[in-house]
Amino acid sequence: MIRSGMATLGVAALFLAACGGTGGGTPQKKTELTLYNDKGAWTKYFDEMGALSKQQIGLGMKPTGYTDSAQYQAFIKASFRTNVKPDLFTWQTGGMLAEIVKQKQVADTTALWQEAIKAGDLSQDLAPYYTIDGKQYCVPMNVAYWGMFYNKKLFDQHGLKPPTTWDELVKAAATLKKAGVTPFYHTSVLFSFVWFEQLMAGSDPDLYDRLSTGKAKYTDPGVVQVMEKWKELIDAGYFVNPGDKTDPGDVMKNGKAAMISLGTWFNTSMTQRNMKAGTDYGFFVIPNVNPALPKTSVIFESGPLCSLAKAADPDASTKYLKWWTTAEAQEKWATTRGDVSANPKVEIKDEALGQITKDAGSGKYRLVNRYFEATPPPVLTAALDGFGKFVTEPGTYKDVLATIQKEADEYWSTHQ
Amino acid sequence: MIRRAVLVVLGLVWLYPTYLLLVNAARPAASYDPATAWAPSGDFALFANFAAALDKADLGASLASTALYSVVSPLLGVVIGAMAGYTIVVLRLRHGFWWFLLIFGGTVFPSQMLLVPLFVGYSDAGLYDTRAGMLLVYTAVNVPLAAFVLRNFYSGVAFSIFEAARMDGASTFRIFWRVYLPISTSALAAVFILEFTFIWNDLLFGLTLTTTESVRPVMTALAGLMTDVYAGTPVPVGLAAGLMCSLPTVLLFLATQRLFARGLSLGSV
Amino acid sequence: MTTRSPILGRFRYGYVAPAALLVAGLLYAPFVWTAYLSLTRYDGLAPPEWAGLANFGKLFDDPALLTSLRNTLLWVVGTMVLPVGLGLLVAVLSHDIKGGAWYRVPFMLPYALSGAGLALVWSPILSHGGIANVLLGVDTAFLQSAPVNTLAMLLVWTWQQLGVNTLLFVVGLQSIPKEPIEAARLDGASGWRLFRHITWPLMRPLTAVVVGLALVASLKTFDIVWVLTQGGPGRNSETLAVTMYKETFVASDYGYGSAVAVMLTVVTGLASYLYLKRQVAS
Repeated sequence: MIRSGMATLGVAALFLAACGGTGGGTPQKKTELTLYNDKGAWTKYFDEMGALSKQQIGLGMKPTGYTDSAQYQAFIKASFRTNVKPDLFTWQTGGMLAEIVKQKQVADTTALWQEAIKAGDLSQDLAPYYTIDGKQYCVPMNVAYWGMFYNKKLFDQHGLKPPTTWDELVKAAATLKKAGVTPFYHTSVLFSFVWFEQLMAGSDPDLYDRLSTGKAKYTDPGVVQVMEKWKELIDAGYFVNPGDKTDPGDVMKNGKAAMISLGTWFNTSMTQRNMKAGTDYGFFVIPNVNPALPKTSVIFESGPLCSLAKAADPDASTKYLKWWTTAEAQEKWATTRGDVSANPKVEIKDEALGQITKDAGSGKYRLVNRYFEATPPPVLTAALDGFGKFVTEPGTYKDVLATIQKEADEYWSTHQ
Repeated sequence: MIRRAVLVVLGLVWLYPTYLLLVNAARPAASYDPATAWAPSGDFALFANFAAALDKADLGASLASTALYSVVSPLLGVVIGAMAGYTIVVLRLRHGFWWFLLIFGGTVFPSQMLLVPLFVGYSDAGLYDTRAGMLLVYTAVNVPLAAFVLRNFYSGVAFSIFEAARMDGASTFRIFWRVYLPISTSALAAVFILEFTFIWNDLLFGLTLTTTESVRPVMTALAGLMTDVYAGTPVPVGLAAGLMCSLPTVLLFLATQRLFARGLSLGSV
Repeated sequence: MTTRSPILGRFRYGYVAPAALLVAGLLYAPFVWTAYLSLTRYDGLAPPEWAGLANFGKLFDDPALLTSLRNTLLWVVGTMVLPVGLGLLVAVLSHDIKGGAWYRVPFMLPYALSGAGLALVWSPILSHGGIANVLLGVDTAFLQSAPVNTLAMLLVWTWQQLGVNTLLFVVGLQSIPKEPIEAARLDGASGWRLFRHITWPLMRPLTAVVVGLALVASLKTFDIVWVLTQGGPGRNSETLAVTMYKETFVASDYGYGSAVAVMLTVVTGLASYLYLKRQVAS
């Protein structure tokens, strides 16, 4: 149907003199790969990686960046049906990865993982996020641990130390609040899920996991309690107004809120604002709400770098992914962005981030998959909207949970 | 006098956000505080911010192709649209209203929904990641607007002009080219400005239909700096990037101002 | 009609063909795919499954869609009053005074700003504790509750679009023949009466353009909402186009998203047809 329309288009094209551009043609041996990604702002970092790989393994790489991840995902999915094949592309773990693996689009990287784990380039702990039906797919493009960034000067001023228990955290919030400082940041757009996920993981991580696989309901008592806890904190006046549109980086810098829960990548925002770790700001792992849990839950985020099963030059793509996991590559990738790395051998310069990476690698924490990846897209969409509504009108939490559950019911009725 | 006063007051209101843009784009990247954003900073860091934005987004290769798209496509679109408008109104094409509706109907589709089918079609037709493909889609998007504006513009032009030219034995195309196009300069220029700006700022088609640097438009490289939370770009640098993107369009506005001054059009004819 | 000589007939279709073909091939044809998807269940990946009219049935019991419809209506009405109405005012005030073009420059500048730039400029203004709060001495988060957030975005939209409408109105004013105006002046008409009875009817062709374009654009409002609120919080500022985009690309429910797109297209098409029929077909 569409093709007939495109025939008209083809005819129209003939009227126009063709000029420039590359297009078509699939050479068997590639010396430069294309890397499609939804991190348009990282183009410079990808370019530097391309230059490094060319030097080290004779295989260059050029990024094609997108800025809207929804549009990006639609593009990648559509590309599977065409002859425009990305050699490498970034994706999401969780349901999104399972979906494209099920369609047999993604190249199996099991052998690569086995070798990398043996060589110490990848940690066994990461493998589950990349495993579908016993086989591994893709490699980690980036990893991030979520915790609390805090304004060190404000903490010092009020005699506070990074809390080690939930009670201490709440007490710190109360102290700050009393002194006229807003303790926490949250938002109604996109990252509206952060506190829900954190409170869930810190109260009942098993319930959190069941929730993301459709085995528990958003209306279950455990989930309702989490929302009530969150509401309690909002009602106590511990959060900034969600209608505050200030960039979180500036919220931290200007002390509009003393604490912001985000992934380790937020470090980039800090360094770009000339803030010094240890003197201007710090980072701590958020203690569990439920002290009886055996391990502290840490939200973990990892974005995969994938290659296609039917890539133009599968050997080159695999070679590239392999190189990507090596310490030489990861050293560069982590340091240029000031973030952590999936490779345990990479020395992280930032003390706090280095510590959490090491601890996470040694099995000290219970790593919990970030809500954004753990939740299937239709449910996630409803949930992000729901939490956005909740933070502006906390009284609506029961309606919000019911709305999310309605979407979840619909999804899991066809996806079990 | 009252007229000028109203214009000046309204104009000042309009300039205020522009002022904020300039002040904050010129602020040192590390000293932005939304609480005092209206006060100019003592240090002038506009060029440092430009440099910071340029450092992250390699624009060199994209500039030439973006310039090509945003000049050639509107030119083609304006001429093709004007020709359609002329045919419908002046040549009194049979069922002209329906032809007009068909062409104007191109604007009713939500463009986001065209992306995936266009991408699939383009990759089948070998137009993906080609400059010709980009020119084609941008021209198509521009045609309805041009056809609408020019169709209506020509409907206000006295038919006697056409008759006089026919008497002199000019062909219909010659009359279009030598008479109707020149009298509609201001309308053509207005359409050109709108279309130039649209293409220059376009992200939808630019992102989806290209991949190589030499084909991909500039905006695709800069937009990420302004929006991506992972990038952590300081607000002044984002604003500087936005300002930089807008400069060509602003220059075009200023350069074409005199076309819209009273008395240039043929008025009474 | 005496003017329809055979020579005029020979190339006529050749003159409209490029426009018609481009539009048909690049705008109509892709939409056929969307129309087809609206009758299927499709996640963008596995082959689409036929679903009949199920997606359209869902349109009727989706409370979020009602919000989108209401907001979209607000956008249409608001656009006619603000960017179009004020645009006309600025054009009329400035078109025949000396240096009038320079008075219009402040209104044109915002049009050059891209969507992302727009959000960067306006977020700090509309933010809670932002510049508008300080200037107006209030404590409102302008982008939070409905319908305040839509109205606030409408003002931003006015800020950006006014200049374009002014420009088109100016073109309309310039194309008016001078004789009727001079004649009316001699008869003693001036000011409002001159405008109402002579100028306004004569500038109708370009007024129809401005209103027609604004009608279509406001029904399809997307960019500004997407960059400022993403339709939130809690979907309360979504427009039809935002709902369509979210359902299709964010939630990967291509079938339902396409159904919204088809509905939006039908509404937009019908509205433009009814308007243009009255204004243009004469």
